[in-house]
Amino acid sequence: MYQPWTVKYKPKTLKEVVGNREAIQKFVEWVKSWDEGIPKKRAAFLYGPPGVGKTVTVEALANDFKMELVEKNASDYRTEEAVKRFAGLASQYGSLFGTKRIILFDELDGLTGTADKGGVKAITDIIKMAQCPIVLIANNAFDPRFANLRNYCLLIEFKKPPTTDVLKHLKAICLKEGIDAEENALKFIAQRSEGDIRSAVTDLQALAQGKKRLTYDDVAWLGFRDRQETIFTVLRMILYGKTCEGAKRAVNMADVDIDMLFEWIYENVPAHLTDPHDLAAAMNALSMADVYRGRIRSTQDYSFIRYVIDFMTAGVAMARVNTKTTGWTPFRFPERIQALSRSKEERAMQLEIGRKIKRRCHISATRASKEVLPYLRIIFKNNVEMAAGLAKWLDLSREMVDYLAESKEKAEAINKLLSQNP
Amino acid sequence: MSFEMWAEKYRPKTLDEMVNQKEIVERLKSFVKAKNVPHCIFAGPPGTGKTTAALCLARDLYGESYREYIMELNASDERGIDVVRETVKTFARVRSIGEVPFKIMILDEADNMTADAQQALRRTMERYTETCRFILCANYSGKIIEPIQSRCAPFRFTYLPREEHDKYLRYIAENEGVKLLDDGLDAIYEVCGGDLRRAINTLQAAASLGKPIDAKIVYSIAGRANPADVQKMIETAMKGNFLEARKQLRDMIQKYGVAGSDIIRQIHTEIFRADIPEPWKIKLADIVGEIDYRLVEGADEEVQLSALLARLVEAAHEIKGSRKV
Repeated sequence: MYQPWTVKYKPKTLKEVVGNREAIQKFVEWVKSWDEGIPKKRAAFLYGPPGVGKTVTVEALANDFKMELVEKNASDYRTEEAVKRFAGLASQYGSLFGTKRIILFDELDGLTGTADKGGVKAITDIIKMAQCPIVLIANNAFDPRFANLRNYCLLIEFKKPPTTDVLKHLKAICLKEGIDAEENALKFIAQRSEGDIRSAVTDLQALAQGKKRLTYDDVAWLGFRDRQETIFTVLRMILYGKTCEGAKRAVNMADVDIDMLFEWIYENVPAHLTDPHDLAAAMNALSMADVYRGRIRSTQDYSFIRYVIDFMTAGVAMARVNTKTTGWTPFRFPERIQALSRSKEERAMQLEIGRKIKRRCHISATRASKEVLPYLRIIFKNNVEMAAGLAKWLDLSREMVDYLAESKEKAEAINKLLSQNP
Repeated sequence: MSFEMWAEKYRPKTLDEMVNQKEIVERLKSFVKAKNVPHCIFAGPPGTGKTTAALCLARDLYGESYREYIMELNASDERGIDVVRETVKTFARVRSIGEVPFKIMILDEADNMTADAQQALRRTMERYTETCRFILCANYSGKIIEPIQSRCAPFRFTYLPREEHDKYLRYIAENEGVKLLDDGLDAIYEVCGGDLRRAINTLQAAASLGKPIDAKIVYSIAGRANPADVQKMIETAMKGNFLEARKQLRDMIQKYGVAGSDIIRQIHTEIFRADIPEPWKIKLADIVGEIDYRLVEGADEEVQLSALLARLVEAAHEIKGSRKV
């Protein structure tokens, strides 16, 4: 039988709910306070991004405390009249058989437009007279429509649980489903979900159901495919955009952050704007976008981001004057990013060697790594004996020798000499 | 051939061994004789013997165990104010026991210290004058703040004269059993311009090839050891190959850690040497200046400099067009 895993593995008790321990604690204490009479706030307003466990928490609590949960969501009470009817049913009546009752209004964000006119006000009225705990749920509690309603509610924020918590949940599901999943694969899903547990579980089911093994390749491939397609569309809109508005709109479609999008554009401009004037204009636009990034840093005023976006999108699009669109030019992954992380390691190694030189040669490590190291490299390439002698004299580590020798054979020859005369 | 850094092996040990900077050496010898040393600034280009002079002075003053009485600090590595506050103070305030009543602090590459650190240093120098003397080595004395300069005896180091340079390199080559040809020696002087450390490093790297050292070998070594070939990058851009020029730029910045400010300064120099119509030189200077300013504003070096390269591609294109007409 097909059953969504989001339902199948929905937490039954509060203990099983992923993350948000503080929020849950606050909520539990408020519910318990009803045992000592009606508290100041008769409603709790749980808010936070989708899929972080707001509804699940209320359901699990009702289960733990053996309470009767009367649940309605937005689509059920679209008018004032409907809400009143519902309220009459649930709120004013005490519990007939001794079971306590809790009322849940879910998906308040869904109350929109004229059809729901009065809905918020009706809920507010119900809360004022409520004889049992009322729970409201919405993504955004600070919507102006809820301004008055908020006064009567205890606000409880639900946050995105950390990736590690989502990961734990996914692991538990795999265990129960008998799926042997690679840690990396689950981590990838967890990270992609950005704290939305519901979407993480949905993804997991789509990728893993019916499988015995789930590898990183199964997962990463999928993620990369749809992401890449989006970025290509976005780049096309910018590099071949006819209007400023169109090019700027591309930013909203991109599922990479602004800095990464900048790198994509920066990488691909030269191949797509080949006319020297167009190229100079486009690179100048990117340079200006970059200047505004610097201004954000120095002023700490993020609102300058709009100029960054103007220049990197519209500025680049408008640079196209003379370049003809001929044929198809592929887009390339920003190479600078890879090169940068590679060379960061390299620079660290160079500085380490610089420190070794410094101990012997009365020169700063910084300068040694720039001024002496290039000569060492030449020596290590040409003269095994001299290299071994210097390695010993400078007390270089094996990794340093490997780095300086560049080729494997040379490194081995040098290391061999070193081990013969320690 | 010996297997250590020759630049270190042949560093003079005593003031008597120092072949160059005659006047300076004489004055330093008089300090040794009087057993008193003022605070000093040794200013001059790299590879002219500043650090060596400081070390020789210390050895002549304190004898073989001179290391116990001196401390060497490289401002390029530790140039913050904290280092001055902590390390320098701790060293400076403890009185030395022995014939000479003070210790010596050698601050290498002192022009790389921040202004704040220099201010802190100034006060330390004043407070602990009795127990510690400072020798500041710097390429540019202008980068040392005025109050420090006025407290120090200035010494100006200059590049080695050609004969001294040749004599020294020939001596090393002979001692190491390396055949150094005349044109090889000329080439070393040409590429290193009297910077003795660089010259000796070049000699050693050339010797590692195991062949008699001629000009060709020296040039190839120099080319490989100095990756910041700004001239070549400009040529690539002017030929219209932007992508290749950007790659060269990226290597310079990422692989060899060349500072953007250094690159732009060299571009500025190269533009006035370039074979382009005179009016263009000043047009390009304007562009270089603008990009330089954006860099100073704290922008990304590669993005800014590659925008400049694109402008060079554009300029070369326009110049070519105007020449045809």
